[in-house]
Amino acid sequence: MTGFGSDRLLELAEAALGTGGDDVEALAWRQAGGLTRFAASRIHQSAWREDLWVRVRVAVDGNRVGTATTHAADPAAVRATARRAVEVARTMPPDPGYPGMPGPAAYPRAGRHDEATAAADPATRAGLVAGVIRRLPAGVAAAGACETRELEIALANTRGVRAAGATTAASFSILADAGSGTGWAEGTEPALADLDVAALGERAARKATDSRDPRELVPGTYPVVLEPNAASVLVQWLGWLGFGAKAYDEGRSFLVGRLGQRVCSPLVTVVDDATAADTIGVGFDFEGVPKRRVTLIDQGVAAGLVYDFRAATGHGVEPTGHGLPAPSSEGALPMHLSLLPGQTRQADLVAGMERGLLVTRFHYTNLVNLMETTITGMTRDGTFLVEDGRVVGAVRNLRFTQSILEALSAVRAVGAETELAAEDGYRAARAPALAIDRFAFSSATTF
Amino acid sequence: MEPEELTELALAAAVEAGAGYADARWVREETEGLTVTDDRVDDLEAEDSSGIGIRVLVAGCWGFAASAVVDPGRARDLARRAVEVARASAAVDGEPVRLAPAEPAVASWSTPLHRDPFAVPLAERVELLLAACDAQRSVPGLAHAKATVDLWRRRTVLWSTEGTRVDQTVTQTGAGIEAVAVGDGDLQQRCWPNSFRGQYQGGGWEVVEAADLVGNAPRVAAEAVQLLAAPELPEQVTTVILDGQQLSLQVHESVGHPLELDRILGMEAAYAGTSFVRPEDRGRLRYGSPAMSVTADATTPGGLGTFAFDDEGVPAQRVPLVTEGMVAGFLTSRETAAQSAGAMRADGWGSMPLIRMTNVHLEPGQGGLDELIADTPDGLLLSVNRSWSIDDRRVNFQFGVEAAWEIKGGRLGRLYRNATYDGRTTEFWGSLDAVCGPEAWVVWGVPNCGKGQPFQNARVGHGAAPARFRNVHVGVGGR
Repeated sequence: MTGFGSDRLLELAEAALGTGGDDVEALAWRQAGGLTRFAASRIHQSAWREDLWVRVRVAVDGNRVGTATTHAADPAAVRATARRAVEVARTMPPDPGYPGMPGPAAYPRAGRHDEATAAADPATRAGLVAGVIRRLPAGVAAAGACETRELEIALANTRGVRAAGATTAASFSILADAGSGTGWAEGTEPALADLDVAALGERAARKATDSRDPRELVPGTYPVVLEPNAASVLVQWLGWLGFGAKAYDEGRSFLVGRLGQRVCSPLVTVVDDATAADTIGVGFDFEGVPKRRVTLIDQGVAAGLVYDFRAATGHGVEPTGHGLPAPSSEGALPMHLSLLPGQTRQADLVAGMERGLLVTRFHYTNLVNLMETTITGMTRDGTFLVEDGRVVGAVRNLRFTQSILEALSAVRAVGAETELAAEDGYRAARAPALAIDRFAFSSATTF
Repeated sequence: MEPEELTELALAAAVEAGAGYADARWVREETEGLTVTDDRVDDLEAEDSSGIGIRVLVAGCWGFAASAVVDPGRARDLARRAVEVARASAAVDGEPVRLAPAEPAVASWSTPLHRDPFAVPLAERVELLLAACDAQRSVPGLAHAKATVDLWRRRTVLWSTEGTRVDQTVTQTGAGIEAVAVGDGDLQQRCWPNSFRGQYQGGGWEVVEAADLVGNAPRVAAEAVQLLAAPELPEQVTTVILDGQQLSLQVHESVGHPLELDRILGMEAAYAGTSFVRPEDRGRLRYGSPAMSVTADATTPGGLGTFAFDDEGVPAQRVPLVTEGMVAGFLTSRETAAQSAGAMRADGWGSMPLIRMTNVHLEPGQGGLDELIADTPDGLLLSVNRSWSIDDRRVNFQFGVEAAWEIKGGRLGRLYRNATYDGRTTEFWGSLDAVCGPEAWVVWGVPNCGKGQPFQNARVGHGAAPARFRNVHVGVGGR
């Protein structure tokens, strides 16, 4: 049941064209894959799932726009959905800002489709899980997940856009539990063969045993080294808080009044780049616009925004290829964020800290103040006290309440190794470890 | 082909492939979300998704396969794939899954509706939301006005090899307004009846009408503008009254989730986390003060967690979770308890059922909000959630709210912005000393509860009336 085929998906999208309307766009999306979950060192849930949908957007009378979506995979259902979109459009009020739809374009290479990952069976995933569990040290149990998936996307519109692409992703995450301490490691790659699950298991187990018997630490402001997984969360949040042109226009962006100004350390450069070799994606956005590399923060200076077709038309600029599936009240969002690496090995970041904390991972982060970019969240699965450049023991988990921009302004050094991570499973960002001179922990928990 | 025929085919194929137990859920889910921002329709999302999910037990291991692309051949293929998935799981030794006995259910059920919301013409919905935005924009100083209506309907046909034959249709409706004020580098918002697209309940268009979006719009917009000029809430330890909207999320995060038995048993350790509660704590752990009684009730009219049968075919139940402050029960399933409390729920056809909240209520006390404020010499009224976070064992939490009013001498005083409060779960619930009565008790909807891998969304309800807590730390500072 793998490999529906992006060309076949494009044919399905094309079925929507010619069913009426001034402009018609059909976005077809299919994802299939398996996920094997384990807890207490046994597989407790395992699933395979395939979803497919076609979303049709139609404009009638020039600027009345309607959409409809079907999860059926046959052309007749797609045509019926297009007719439904026309009905919806006819009932909608005119949209004076409707910009039309993009025309044809050449798309950059992006993402990687690995046949073995797309075809990975449950026995392969279970075998990887079993191997990691077998190698756990005595007294350590494990929980986590191994996932393989294939994503195919196609888009056609009556302005001549024909776009199709496919990508794969594999991820392995493990929480090792050593009683009074836990440890975490995860990896995501376009191909399953590129995941070193044994190393991930060993790293999580080592962190778990090192985390035993954590001591209590008084909350306050400390220097920190955020490992890539934790640093990635800061980047993920920035992506939601104001790089989109619509949010900026509506005053809902932390960048309002700050474009062209220094907003954080010169050591920090943030880009959105779906075409980078190590990202997971395709070369066009959900409106059929080519994805472009956009520098959002350039050596600490707020440098740019991302645009969908509507915002770009309004601003008189080229769209950057960051449109979401229409209709979207959110506007454009950067979906392939990366904080660029520095020159310092991760181990040396810790060695350079006189007294502070080494943070493995954050949990349940949430926004406190948008314009200040303040978020809160907990540390988990490996929070360590560092003295004189060495880890001297684990500490109980702490809650941080911290402005992201203030933290990024206090970056002392940037790690050389990066990881792709997503706290909630879908808004992934790539980041290196960060050494930050001041990071505010506002309260503590009991473990 | 009818859903019943597909589920029957799938079950037969699963048994033939070696399943000792199987259930097949055919699900159709229709949604329509309408967003009006200022003077234009910003977003109309209409979706119609159907598919089938087949869950099997083979040698004590679960397997699951699901697809939106369904025909008779595919239904059989999916059943065989589910068995293959289960067999692969047996590669790792472990205690085999055993299901507690349950009487096979044969029934159909639908949410009672006064007016089918999907039958309300789109033009009528747009007109209402434009009027709600106009009423907000009549307030000087407002930057943006938003109004939303969300419709949701799910039909589930559940068949199992034990003879369960359930056909139920749940309809839920939501509506809300959001007023945004921007100035001096700050952004403030006020929402009604609740944040994150408003109030959601089981039912039809009557839920939208009850919200009175237009009537509340000027007040809500004026409060958003007032917040821009309000001082920041200073850090302090004080008495707080949480309104029902905020309290519903407090119950959700710090009572409902910790009492899910799969979390307690470590089954969600890697993602959503575990719980500070242990299996042996039932009847022994003091969770809160004697004023605290919490029930899980899947039979409550209007709740987002209201149904006739869960996704294992177990009948909806009312279960005590905390009685006068003591842990009295858990949210459970057939796999985790000797008798399921009927809390297994899946996010549509594509997901395995998990233990989820149904409607988890803080039971009412007595009196109205005005009386509670009058009985409070010094404190704060905290209103409508803006932010939430809690640790992975559900101990340390921090919430932000849209608005905080000072209470002095039993009267509401000045307004503060950017209010937060934090605490530890059992200490906080131990400080509860008053809950308002049935007249102030509302079943609030939380339509976005996340859990599981792959990620699943659940729609849950929380009955809550405003309640008072003593010695609460408010404002973020270095403690």
